[in-house]
Amino acid sequence: MRIATKGMLAGLSLLLMSGTSALSTELTIFWAEWDPANYLQELVNQYEAETGVTVTVETTPWSDFQTKAFTEFNAQGSAYDLIVGDSQWLGAASEAGHYVDLTDFVKENGVLDKMAPATVKFYSEYPGNSGKYWSIPAEGDAVGWSYRKDWFEDPTEMANFKAKYGYDLAPPTNWQQLIDIAEFFYRPDQNRYGVAIYTDNSYDAMAMGFENALFSYGGELGDASTYKVDGIINSPKAVAALDAYRKLYGFTPPGWAKTFFVENNQAITENLAAMSMNYFAFFPALINESSNPNAKNTGFFANPAGPDGDQYAALGGQGISVVSYSQNKEEAMKFLKWFIQDDTQQKWADLGGYTCSAKVLESEAFRNATPYNEAFYQTMFKVKDFWAVPEYAELLTQLNQRLYPSIVGGEGSSQDVLDGLAADWKATFAKYGRGM
Amino acid sequence: MTSLIATLDPGSRAATRGLSDIAIRNLFVIPTIVFLIIFNIFPLLYSLGYSFTDFRASTKDPANFIGLKNYMDLLSDPNIWSNFTITAQYVIVSVTGQVIVGFGLALLLNRSFPLKGLVTTLLLLPMMLSMAVVGLFWKLLYDPNFGIINYALGLGKFEWLANPKFALYAVALTDVWMWSPFVMLLSLAGLSAVPKHLYEAASIDRASRLYTFFRITLPLVAPILLIAIIFRTMEAFKTFDLAYVMTSQPTTEVVSIRLYKMAFQEWQTGKSCALAYIVLIMVLCITNVYVKYLNKAKER
Amino acid sequence: MAVVSSRGQRLSNRVAIAAILVITLVFLAPIYWIGSTAFKPRSLATTSPPTIVYQPEISPMVKLFTKRVQLKPNEKVDYDNAPWWERMIFDGGERISRTGKGAIQLSGYPDRFINSLIVAVTSTLLAVGMGTITAYGFSRFRVKGEADWLFFILSTRMLPPIVVAIPMFLMYRAAGLNDSHVGLILLYTAFNVSFAVWLMKGFIDEIPKEYEEAALVDGYTRLQAFWKIVLPEAATGIAATAVFCFITAWNEYAFALILTNKKAQTAPPFIPSQIGSGLPDWTVIAAGTVLFLLPVAIFTFLLRNHLLRGMSFGAIRK
Repeated sequence: MRIATKGMLAGLSLLLMSGTSALSTELTIFWAEWDPANYLQELVNQYEAETGVTVTVETTPWSDFQTKAFTEFNAQGSAYDLIVGDSQWLGAASEAGHYVDLTDFVKENGVLDKMAPATVKFYSEYPGNSGKYWSIPAEGDAVGWSYRKDWFEDPTEMANFKAKYGYDLAPPTNWQQLIDIAEFFYRPDQNRYGVAIYTDNSYDAMAMGFENALFSYGGELGDASTYKVDGIINSPKAVAALDAYRKLYGFTPPGWAKTFFVENNQAITENLAAMSMNYFAFFPALINESSNPNAKNTGFFANPAGPDGDQYAALGGQGISVVSYSQNKEEAMKFLKWFIQDDTQQKWADLGGYTCSAKVLESEAFRNATPYNEAFYQTMFKVKDFWAVPEYAELLTQLNQRLYPSIVGGEGSSQDVLDGLAADWKATFAKYGRGM
Repeated sequence: MTSLIATLDPGSRAATRGLSDIAIRNLFVIPTIVFLIIFNIFPLLYSLGYSFTDFRASTKDPANFIGLKNYMDLLSDPNIWSNFTITAQYVIVSVTGQVIVGFGLALLLNRSFPLKGLVTTLLLLPMMLSMAVVGLFWKLLYDPNFGIINYALGLGKFEWLANPKFALYAVALTDVWMWSPFVMLLSLAGLSAVPKHLYEAASIDRASRLYTFFRITLPLVAPILLIAIIFRTMEAFKTFDLAYVMTSQPTTEVVSIRLYKMAFQEWQTGKSCALAYIVLIMVLCITNVYVKYLNKAKER
Repeated sequence: MAVVSSRGQRLSNRVAIAAILVITLVFLAPIYWIGSTAFKPRSLATTSPPTIVYQPEISPMVKLFTKRVQLKPNEKVDYDNAPWWERMIFDGGERISRTGKGAIQLSGYPDRFINSLIVAVTSTLLAVGMGTITAYGFSRFRVKGEADWLFFILSTRMLPPIVVAIPMFLMYRAAGLNDSHVGLILLYTAFNVSFAVWLMKGFIDEIPKEYEEAALVDGYTRLQAFWKIVLPEAATGIAATAVFCFITAWNEYAFALILTNKKAQTAPPFIPSQIGSGLPDWTVIAAGTVLFLLPVAIFTFLLRNHLLRGMSFGAIRK
């Protein structure tokens, strides 16, 4: 009898499928196709076991993620109840009302105390320092480095390196060392190259790569409150950072002209480069012996400091937000309440998610769980991000158009390139009436 | 009216039996036209309307009418012109390549030999793949470190896609690989329809092969070749996936890539609609010229 | 004289056939490479120099159909009690993701493959059907402004799809067509109908009107004449048109991505998504590609004899 009723209900809800039916409680979370999304699906399976609410994680390739999400938002679509969205989207999505304002939720549930401060600042708050929150930090991420321990620890290499540069060969602690080591291992005749960096300019890859140099050299993109860029993005520090990034490009493997996380991991697995920058989220593939034959010989370090001792890294990662057009907002809020619980966050970390929970991050168990967790932990307290204004993509395009020919094509002086970029950005901010 | 059609159309004697010819004509033609109008008119009007505004689909700001500003900005933007120049280069290189390879293959295939059907089907395989997958795999094939192309040709570390001057041609080469079979198939259909007696007459006259080719073969195949060129030009002009997946050089940023970034990354909806209209008008003009040639070629 | 000429012809024939063989091999090399990658162990997919000889494996196919996550260091799995296909996944350093109830999770591929079949087959039937009758209408009856209408039909293919994507999305949402098979079918039909009309018109133009005239005299109605005389004559053209419509609908990417979510998603956007974990699994991408190529390839092969004769666009007059 029960089964029959259930069947009828299911049939009925199928009939009423046009709107996400009110009869069955089902939540849909949208994210990109990658391992963390699979871990999240496993995590939410437990939520279903506890509450009976089915939660599905829907995914799409990274390259289409932004397109798909914003097309859905802009048409006020209710296909997704929650979304694990990129940090740069905050401005666009909050100003247009795509995200539900979570300020009260954040304050009532003590999210500020639970999550690491940097993650709340970059994944949740918009505009900067406004005290308004739009998401809950979900997947922490930043750029770090992997390197070939066997190459670094080879006695001959160590002796030769010391003879040439006058200090010991070890994971670099500053950018000058990074450049030296890249130069040292750059040996085209041996099919071995110095370093792998991001160069893809179709979206944000190259910008993220360059930011690692920029922030550590003590440079900034601009003033986040006044939107002043002239004299900041083209400051001597920024110019030095661009020079450094261009130098690194000279030590990359051949064909290094459209590279992002995939190619940079391959640089390690295919014995191409001594060091490779990448998001922490992609490091699990490097310690898996089935996907990385050099897994045992792969080490990790945090983005090194610049000449003045500044040390920062470019932020990745996402917060989870409630979509304004969802028809299950209350259920979604309940889910978020469950998601921020300490033991949920612990499980999230155990499954392989990069939790932002300060408690879990600080725990010994987490920091020793993998060879890169310690570097991740250190990095997450010194990250900076790209502009999060709604027109960030235009700023990205302009950066790509200016920087790519100089980095990959070797055109123009760094000063001219950044002066040009400062002028472009100034014009764009003026167009949208910012900082007037 | 009925009688008018009946007198104009010799085939309408059946007008009195069953459905009238007009009814059949209307039944056959009108639904398709209406269907196409419905599917195209809204997107077209929507784009046209917003092309005169500063609308951004990603914000809640209302669209402001700004007249022709988008068009002026675009047409005076040197970056856009470089996008168009690149697109033109791409269209010329890839369509020419496809015509040469495709037509050449058709000339070779235009004879009977064992397993002809199988060979023809195998040659068509490239165009049965999706563009995105082709782009992904050709990027791998071109890879200087683990690509098979350099290995097979002994080119060492030659950088196909990382070289700003060469990347566009490398992408065009992939396009030629993928779409020459299309030109081949159409040309083959044309060639097989050339009456044999014309060749026999030419050989009696001891005409040279070149003469036969240019005076008999080419004029007769020209109309169908032009149709192949029309479709390939239209598609090449809109090309997106291949170049987008394979490279990110400024020298390979064809206009569709710029359009995609403007519309779906920057969400400058109004401006991207204006750019789309500029593209549409260009394609319309080019196609129109082709169709004129086509009609001339058919008349001959 | 005649003997010499035929000997020369035979020789040039042989050269031509040899050339065809060589070119065919060159054309097929990339396809062969995709096909061989679909049966490689993951570690051999990208090597320097490329691996050509290897022991083929079925594991990419198993991976293609399952949802997997990477094994964490020191993670314990029940290797001994696992079925052979699950062991393959373990050997690859991954495990199959399971639902809350412990059932294995399939990847999106099988569902999407079926959706692709539904959408491509239906829209091909519709496009070819509509294309044929419309072409017949244009071919046999006077239509005011015929050339302009035909150009309009052609022009519907000119707009870059990226441009119409946003208005199309809004239109579909308003009509409740997004994320439905019907929506994609209608869209692909609209896409293909222009090509179908152009191709079929050329073909029907070539069928002598006298055939129908005779039938009409014999007491057939116009519809009967169309059905019994014209359609069979046009079979070749129909087959060729169907092949092209099917290929287009089968591989469409942009709209499939934007207009569908869960119910009606087709396979093309899924195949490249296997790049996920930071190291692309080329073997799975290749496996997905190869399986996805099979239906079109078989379809084309079955219709191969029609294809050649069918592609004339009426451009060649007898």
